[in-house]
This record gives sequence, C-alpha cells and structure tokens, in this order.
Amino acid sequence: MKISGSYTVPAARERAYQLLQDPAVLAKCMPGTDHLDKVGDNEYEMKMKMAIASIGGLFSGKVRIADRNPPENFKLIVEGNGKIGFVKGEGLLTLSPQGDSTDVSYDGDVQVGGTIAGVGQRLLDTTAKMIIKKFFEKLSEAAVQ
Amino acid sequence: MIAQNFDYTAPASLNEALTLLAGDDVKVLAGGMSLIPLMKLRLATPGQLVDIGRIADLNYIREDKGVLRIGATTTHYEVESSAAVRSRCPLLAEAASFIGDIQVRNRGTIGGSLAHADPAADYPASLLALEGRVVLATAKKQRELALSDFFVDTFTTALESGEIIKEVVVPVEDQSAGTSYQKNIQPASGFAIVGIAARVRKSGGKVAMARVGVTGLSGKPYRATNVEKALEGTAGSTADIQKAAALVADGIDANSDLHASADYRKHLARIYTMRALAAALSRAS
Repeated sequence: MKISGSYTVPAARERAYQLLQDPAVLAKCMPGTDHLDKVGDNEYEMKMKMAIASIGGLFSGKVRIADRNPPENFKLIVEGNGKIGFVKGEGLLTLSPQGDSTDVSYDGDVQVGGTIAGVGQRLLDTTAKMIIKKFFEKLSEAAVQ
Repeated sequence: MIAQNFDYTAPASLNEALTLLAGDDVKVLAGGMSLIPLMKLRLATPGQLVDIGRIADLNYIREDKGVLRIGATTTHYEVESSAAVRSRCPLLAEAASFIGDIQVRNRGTIGGSLAHADPAADYPASLLALEGRVVLATAKKQRELALSDFFVDTFTTALESGEIIKEVVVPVEDQSAGTSYQKNIQPASGFAIVGIAARVRKSGGKVAMARVGVTGLSGKPYRATNVEKALEGTAGSTADIQKAAALVADGIDANSDLHASADYRKHLARIYTMRALAAALSRAS
C-alpha cells in the first residue's frame, strides 16, 4: 500500500527536523506509544497499543532512521508485529520551509499482513491516514510548546 | 475462530447499563453485526460486554413535536418498515433498506451502526442530509449533538468513555420535499463504495433548499455544502445538477482500496450525486 501526503508543522525547518528525530517527541506523537527504547544507532524499539473503536491490539516493533540529510529529508523504516497482524514499511520524509512553518511531506510503501489485512482490506487506507493525521497533530502541538 | 473469553451482562434498564459501562475494558453490544465478527477474528477482545438489546425502552420510533425520535436499539428493518418513518422521513427508510442483507437488517441497530462509525456505513449520508441529531447519555448527564459534530474520523466519534447513544432525532420531512439515497454497492460486503443522500425542496420553479450527505468516499461521512450552495437558487435542470455534482469530491482525501481507487471513487461520487439529486428533484413537488 502506497502512502503519501503532507502536513504543515508550525516550526522552522531546523526545529521540525530536530523534533522528528527526537525519540521522546516521537513516542509522544505516536498514538498508543509510551516510550521508545534505544537499541542501536538511530534504531529504537517500541510498544504500541492500537485502539480504533472496537479493534484493538498490542504491537511491538522497531523504528529506524536512515539516510539523514538535515534539514531536508530522512528515511523512516518501521516494522511491527502483533497478534492481529504485522506492519512493515519505509518512507521518505521531506521538509521544506513554508514561511515560519515547515511543510513535511511523506511518501512511502507499507505492507500489512495477517488477520488485520485479510479482513480489514477495505479499511487499511483510511485507518492509516487517520493514524498519520493524529501523529502530525500531536507533532504540531509539540512544536508550539 | 472463537472469541476470546469475556464477561457478559444483559441489563434491563439504561441506568443499569450506564453503571456497568463505567468499568474498564467494557464494550456495548447492540445488534452485534460489526462487533461480533471482530471478536470472532480476535481483532476486538473486550473483557466485558454489556448487551443493551434487552432494554425495552431503547427500542421505539415516536413522533414528537416536529421530530421523529428513534431509540438506539431500533433495528434497520424496523426503520425500513416503519409506517411513521416511511411517511414522515422517507429518506431514512430508504437508506435503511440498503444496509447489508436481510439478516443484518434484522439484527443490526441504528445506534450500533452510528457508534461503530464505519466510514462506508449507509445511515450517516442520509442522517447528515436530514440534519439529524443524537442524544448521548452517561450515568450523570445527557447531551444532544448534531451528527455533523458526532462523526470525527474513521471509526471515531464524539462518544466519550462511559457514554452511550440513547436515541437519534430527525426532523419530520416537509411533504413537498423530495429525497433519494443512491449507493454503489460492494457486492461481497454490502457496504457502500460511495453512497449519496440528497434532499431538496422547490419553490417557484427554483431549488429552494438542497442537502447532500456523502458516505464511503473519505474517512468520515460529510455534508457536501459546496454542492448544496451551487444547486440552490437554480432551476434544477440537468446542467445545473451536473455542475453542482461535479464539486462533491473537491478537497476530499478519497479512500483507496482494492475495490476502488481514490480517483474512481471520486468519479463514482460525482455520478451518484447527479443521480441522487435528479431523483430527489423528480420526487419534490
């Protein structure tokens, strides 16, 4: 599944880039995640409790940041496993200045498998969009703090 | 598959149900047409179910001072076949008749469907076009909310923890109004790829009022106010309808899945908006 879109974060590009690399900020912005544990260079482990209406599940996974090119772009590699399925994907995040704010666009490819993909095909796209939206809303909140 | 173990209670009154809901890891079971399949697949694993299906005073359709009040556990079939709904609010009866199949309509409830907030559910399009409202209750208070404020996102509503949908309130339709619900059906699931509800009133050869509700196109159902504005004040000719309907997907981040790409969904939305508006106008007097 291809995922792309963009959000405007109310912070200058350097700061927005920094926020997106900060594990404490990322943990706060990812829905259902408490903290990220550093397990290597630019690599973190996390637990995520997903709860969307009736559907719920615990995922554990890894986030890796690669190909850093501050303050323009970087690659985010995510993989997660849970009882209800798995998620694997990578995306390129590109930051471009937009006045006092920063336009963050993402473009990636995500694979979803297991029960959730088998029965939830119809809902994967819209659910993924909602999670990304929530992430950027929280990031915007963090940016103005 | 078989659902994970859970506790089950079937309270006899709304107050009792609301008290039970204050606990942790509790889900309301209404008709179970969405929740039970999710539980059997273990996508949902609630620790406790509160079955509201036996609460007699949640199942009703009453007319009351210019509105219809429909209790949360009223089934789709009861809405579809109710003489009151068919004569006073025909759009809602028409939308109910399109939901799933006869088994689903016999068990599924209006409150359950709204609380689940599936982005492709049928009711939201017509309830938004009807400018309907929901009454939400907790153990302590009750509030009324416009449906446009109730739907937040995919599977996400304004319902707070411990809160339950008590009833749906729709205004009684003006007899001169014309309405129509047009749906492109995904045959295997019965869900809408897109569903468009239209409601119009004519006056002096012009379209005096237009309301358009859209489901299935994006993460949440919405009212296409740009289409409404474009049509109001025109003669409602085929060209007017076409011009207005062309706006229905403007600025919308359309869903994409294996049944329909985002572009195809937007195309369908424009076509079905035209059909719904044309049918509604032909029914208006």
